[in-house]
Amino acid sequence: MPNVIETSSVFKAYGEQIVSNNISLGVAEGTIYGLLGPNGAGKTTLIRMLATITQPDRGEIRFMGELLREKHSQKMGYMPEERGLYKKMTVADQLLFFAELRGFSKKDARTSVKKWLQRLDMMEWAKKKIEEISKGMAQKVQFVSCVLHNPQLLILDEPFSGFDPVNADLIKDLILEQRNQGHSIIFSTHRMDNVESLCDQLSIIHNGEKVLDGTISEIRRRHFKGVFELGYHNPVFFPPRLIQTSQMRETNDGKYTYTIQTDSAFTPQDLLQEGMKAGELIHFSELIPSIHDIFVETVAGSKLESEKLGSIHPSKLLAS
Amino acid sequence: MTFLGPILMVGFYASAIYIATKGSDDKRIKNVYVSQMIPIINDTLLSNSIGNNPTKTKHIETESGLLNTRLLLAPSNKDSAIEHVKQGTVDGWINIGDCDFSTIDSTNYYTLQTPSMIEMDILNKWVQNRAIQNAYSKLGLRESQIDSLKSKGSIITKELSKDGNISDSSSDLKSGIGFGLAFLVYIFIFIYGSMVMRSAMEEKTNRIVEIIVSSVKPFHLMMGKILGVAAVGLTQFIAWIVLAIALLSGISYFGFGQQKIEPLTTSNMPGTMGNTLSAQQFESMQSTVDAHSLMALLGNLPYFQILAIFLLFFIGGYLLYSSFFAAIGAAVNESSDVQQFMFPISLPLVFGFIIAQSVALKSPHGTLAKIFSMFPLTSPVVMVVRAPFGVPLSEIVLSASILFASFFLMVWVSGRIYRIGILSYGKKPTWKDLWKWIR
Repeated sequence: MPNVIETSSVFKAYGEQIVSNNISLGVAEGTIYGLLGPNGAGKTTLIRMLATITQPDRGEIRFMGELLREKHSQKMGYMPEERGLYKKMTVADQLLFFAELRGFSKKDARTSVKKWLQRLDMMEWAKKKIEEISKGMAQKVQFVSCVLHNPQLLILDEPFSGFDPVNADLIKDLILEQRNQGHSIIFSTHRMDNVESLCDQLSIIHNGEKVLDGTISEIRRRHFKGVFELGYHNPVFFPPRLIQTSQMRETNDGKYTYTIQTDSAFTPQDLLQEGMKAGELIHFSELIPSIHDIFVETVAGSKLESEKLGSIHPSKLLAS
Repeated sequence: MTFLGPILMVGFYASAIYIATKGSDDKRIKNVYVSQMIPIINDTLLSNSIGNNPTKTKHIETESGLLNTRLLLAPSNKDSAIEHVKQGTVDGWINIGDCDFSTIDSTNYYTLQTPSMIEMDILNKWVQNRAIQNAYSKLGLRESQIDSLKSKGSIITKELSKDGNISDSSSDLKSGIGFGLAFLVYIFIFIYGSMVMRSAMEEKTNRIVEIIVSSVKPFHLMMGKILGVAAVGLTQFIAWIVLAIALLSGISYFGFGQQKIEPLTTSNMPGTMGNTLSAQQFESMQSTVDAHSLMALLGNLPYFQILAIFLLFFIGGYLLYSSFFAAIGAAVNESSDVQQFMFPISLPLVFGFIIAQSVALKSPHGTLAKIFSMFPLTSPVVMVVRAPFGVPLSEIVLSASILFASFFLMVWVSGRIYRIGILSYGKKPTWKDLWKWIR
């Protein structure tokens, strides 16, 4: 699949502060790309460069293979993190304005606005001013404003912040629908809630640098540290020579679950055999770290939780 | 509002000026003693009743009727006269020291509260008048003879044009019109300029600007704003001019006699604004220009030139100042930060307006007028004041070129501030930051 947008060694600094240090990434056609990173990592800076608002100091950005230029913004939809609309303008006028701003003719703009307002059951609100409608409604208008020109690439800065759960789900569905229509989406977030269910690919940005990227399964697989979970009806013992650490936990349905960090020489096969020898094995699985854990590990420089099982929070392991 | 706005504006200022000139709503009659003097001719006004019995009175006649004053004959005893003033029985005492009244040098006015300039002026004139009448009567002139000596006329200016035409002209009218137009330029640069600023600020605080800037260059966005508001302004002006013409032709169609055309003159008169234009001067303007000759004078004004200069310099001034305003709007994060930048930028305009006042009255062709009608930050106001007096074409061209050249320079500078400012959030920018953005 060709990349819709692609950066290579993009560098940007504000004065002394480097906000984007040689970042290279690519968003393939029809995929959703997540940009993860803590606040102030440089996500917004990168996104603004993608949206042609600012330009990189060095490095290049390509859109559909061409060097990114202003005209390409016609094929992009962009939703900034902090949102706002013209308060005194009506919903319909506002949307028409944005559609025309993105190069739609008056007629096309009208058709598209009508289509979207109908889809979201907002026709009756079309003539209302933004200041007269609810915040959630305004957020929907905002989202519509960046998709109504049918953009090939949707750039969303923290798309879920400020949405209530119902609207967040709605936006999520709309994003997925955009992808299913073959559009690409790149969005930034510092929250993990939706990342795994939404992203095909992601990268983690930290201190202006890309510290990690890949597809979700790739990244999780890469961070697999040989931790397995074994379940029994009764407590068991493992031969200590084969196992580095283990922790037992009794679940409320009367099962005993062991989380075991294996030696690198161990294959899952070996562990399974040992496990079967130890007792009546009813449950066996590998514990692949969640994106959340990986994010925390990468960003905070903290050890992956599974390495210090003593302090592990069960829900985090089970979450995977 | 587009069409109603200007009418409201005119109504607002006209009523303010009306109140200021007609204004002292002090209906109370002031009682003023006048000390005895030897023969005051024609004096039905002062009774012979001496003492504390102020019965027979007469109002001082003033041209404007601004003062509501009753003159009473003062008691002969100086101490009791002063005592009455102290007690508030009378408001003041004009003590004419020279009984002969050959001079008024030794005349004093005793009062508890110092009267206003205008009041003092009127009292002064009255005493002077009396002294002159006194002097005439000493020469043996009769009352009717004295009256005939008073000249009723005033000088009428005849303006010669190069091709030999002679036309009536009025400096008062020209000052009034010039000043009125300068006032419009001054006010509307502020109104439209801050419109541009508010719009830039709204988009910045709403973050809409990020979406727009991803499709449009910041410079284009800024220029669009400036030109868009300019179009609004011009539409308003044109609507206004059409309205004015309609009104004027309506007035001349129905015609009117000798009464003064107050609405027209007042709307152009600076009255309240001008500290150099006192109500007296205002009055004198009005009185010399009565409706009879006013139409003729109005007909003689170089309308086309005035209008052309007005529009040219209004547009130029607006463009120059609004590019400052746009940069401010883009630089600040909230309206409370605006003041810091607004103040130094509005200073030259205010200064120009002050210069315009003295130019309009004193020397529309003087050096001061020439210098400040060239300087781009003041020329929009000062040049417009000079317009009715006739400005050489070469000066207009030079000044307009300077004005528009500085607009192009400023818009470039502002564009750079705008480009960065519009996407910079957080701390309030300093002048140093702005300088960094420009470079």
